[in-house]
Amino acid sequence: MKAFGLLAACFALQGCASVGVEPWQRDVLARPEMSLDASPVDAAIDDHIYFSKEASSGGRGFGGGGCGCN
Amino acid sequence: MANATLQNASIAMSRESDYWAGRFTAMASPCEVLIEDATEARARQIVDIAADCAWRIERKFSRYRSDGVVHMINSNAGRAIVLDEESASLIDFASTLTKLSEGRFDITSGVLRTVWTFDGGSVVPTQAEIDAVMTCVGWHQVEWRKPVLQLRPGMQIDLGGIGKEYAVDQAAARVEEIAPGLSCLINFGGDVVVRNPRQDGQPWRVGIEASEHAGTALRVVHLSRGGLATSGDSRRFVFHRGHRYSHIIDARTGWPVRNAPHSITVAADTCTQAGTLTTLAMLQGARCEDLLRASAAKYWIQPA
Amino acid sequence: MSDDNNLGATLAAATCALLGVSAAPVMADEAERWSFDTALLYYGENDDRVQDVSATIGARRAFDDERLLNFTLTADTLTGASASGAIATDAPQTFTSPSGKAVYTAPAGETPLDDTFHDTRFALNAGWTQPLGRLYALSAGLGFSTEYDYTHLGANLSLARDFNKRNTTVSAGLAYSQDDVDPVGGAPVPLSQMLDVGDLSHKRSSDSKDIVDVLFGVTQVLSRNTVLRVNYSYSQSSGYLNDPYKILSVVDGVTGDTILRTPAPGAQGPTGIFLYESRPDTRAKHSLYAEMKHAFGAPVLYGSYRFMTDDWGIDSHTAEVRLRWPLGSTSYVEPVLRYYMQSQADFYHPSLVQGAALPAYASADFRLGEFDAVTVGAKFGHQTPGGNEWSARLEYYQQNGTIAREQLIGNQFAREQYPDLKAVIAQFGYRFGL
Repeated sequence: MKAFGLLAACFALQGCASVGVEPWQRDVLARPEMSLDASPVDAAIDDHIYFSKEASSGGRGFGGGGCGCN
Repeated sequence: MANATLQNASIAMSRESDYWAGRFTAMASPCEVLIEDATEARARQIVDIAADCAWRIERKFSRYRSDGVVHMINSNAGRAIVLDEESASLIDFASTLTKLSEGRFDITSGVLRTVWTFDGGSVVPTQAEIDAVMTCVGWHQVEWRKPVLQLRPGMQIDLGGIGKEYAVDQAAARVEEIAPGLSCLINFGGDVVVRNPRQDGQPWRVGIEASEHAGTALRVVHLSRGGLATSGDSRRFVFHRGHRYSHIIDARTGWPVRNAPHSITVAADTCTQAGTLTTLAMLQGARCEDLLRASAAKYWIQPA
Repeated sequence: MSDDNNLGATLAAATCALLGVSAAPVMADEAERWSFDTALLYYGENDDRVQDVSATIGARRAFDDERLLNFTLTADTLTGASASGAIATDAPQTFTSPSGKAVYTAPAGETPLDDTFHDTRFALNAGWTQPLGRLYALSAGLGFSTEYDYTHLGANLSLARDFNKRNTTVSAGLAYSQDDVDPVGGAPVPLSQMLDVGDLSHKRSSDSKDIVDVLFGVTQVLSRNTVLRVNYSYSQSSGYLNDPYKILSVVDGVTGDTILRTPAPGAQGPTGIFLYESRPDTRAKHSLYAEMKHAFGAPVLYGSYRFMTDDWGIDSHTAEVRLRWPLGSTSYVEPVLRYYMQSQADFYHPSLVQGAALPAYASADFRLGEFDAVTVGAKFGHQTPGGNEWSARLEYYQQNGTIAREQLIGNQFAREQYPDLKAVIAQFGYRFGL
């Protein structure tokens, strides 16, 4: 989790100016499995199951909706 | 930018999911050769040949190298020079492009580099400065009767606009000589060619350097065979009076093209054709789509 | 443009002269424009408790200039029994069902489960993303869902901006939803008593709630192989937040046994004193969420953490780890491990003591209690030669609850206090493009 420490260390956007890659270095990041939204249906299903069984929900973003299950 | 390009003689081989990948640097760009269905030794041999071809062409035609043909031509402006077969073919090709683009594309427009610096800033030369340099620009001022070339004193040529895609196609031809029918993808800094389709029937997936957002994937083109090139302003541009000028200069006016799209990607039979079409289309600015439709090639435009 | 019509031919001839050889025709295509993601899900709990079968279709269409359209349609049917919040006692118990027209029973010594709940739900979500200029993107979405006793309508809007050569994306979003609750038999008056069959004097008609969500997020590329996203979100709900079907047992202050009651002559009804739960009519939640993906060559590691705290006194931590491991060139296996823990709500009471002052809010819903939960499982995926993907997921989810000693009374210690939940999740999916 050293990456979490890295982000915490440069919270200001100015500090993040040096973190990142050049546009032509995005080959790995371009792979579909590296997208943070790679499996939206799985995520929606998980969110719904845990929303109806636990007291917390979401965090990832919007989408999905309410239901009578909680 | 240094005057002499340091030749990076190191090639890194790695095994990806179902192909070999060889990576090296040439012509100031990251290069890779992806080979399907081969042993490591064979793959290494193929990458070596592609890299040698890239470095040979870089040595011969880079304007930075004092031992190359371009330097020889540029330092002998005013005198008649006899060119070798390969250089003469490239000059012929450039001449055809100048005719096709009605003068917008011109290998003598490289001198405009001295007044235009594309670093994302907003420094723009005065019209007087541009006019002064424009006296040394124009293919019509060149005497070219194959294989004899004579520039007017003060003129310079720059083959950067066609060199990389030519190198890609040449590398593919060299590889085909020693490994006919093998499917490999050659990519020199975004200029790509695939000579033969893959054995497993799958296309090579090429991600286009598009305006992707952090954390999401790029547009993907399925290339089974042929060339693919992208022309765009993602790295080099100038901002002036609220306009974004791409780094491609219209040789008729001495100004960079305005209202060009963010990027154009073209798929054609060869990388040379693909790269040429993206350049010619960008030079048309807002009317790029007319040219692309006329060419009957497959294209993808990212509007500005 | 001179010779436009022959541009292609002229260029081909010039290239042929340059390269010395003519090339075979190009074969290139863009990856499919429409992408569909379908999934069939089975969720089943232990001991004849809740079972759910659902089908989902997600459709996504990318346009040339990065505009994006997506839809998700879900249908699911729920059957089985859920804990009602009443506590176990030594004798069999009878309860009036939510409709007020029938009764159901629970065996002695077991946590009562209400099995009268069967429902089918349909949900539709649509979203649109539109780039604004070079660096901004606007997203908007609508959501709708309907089931027998619940309707949801929501909308969301968010704006994202790129920085640092698109290595950093900052986004802010707002969502609003309006939900209508129309419980079977009517919404009960909070903390009122469960009455005999046919007596609806403690039931009212439908009610509603609305929810506002605000989200701020940063996505950052950390290296060629690593990307991180951090979100802060705030959610404010107000309106009818009770679960209309959940009750609390009223018990003796010394023995902890449920106070007995007999139904009116000739009528059926509850055999004990049960009160309908009562939750506050507002809830404010804060969440901090971080997720990261890191590629080690071909395998990809995913990790996420979420902290949630709200004004009901609930704090929760969620941590999830997944490792996508390629098998050959077309398949992968992805084991997953998730750990969740939450503290109990301030107004969580396993039971209420007869004679003691009634609290303003009280609920025995185990989902508001203190528990931790583990999910363990794996997903397997296989890509077909055409570029489509089959997948299968199998997971096991277990909740283990705790009730603090000071909240239990007398004989309650000897009985089942918290019905631990064990569930199996099985999903089959197929992703294809057109």
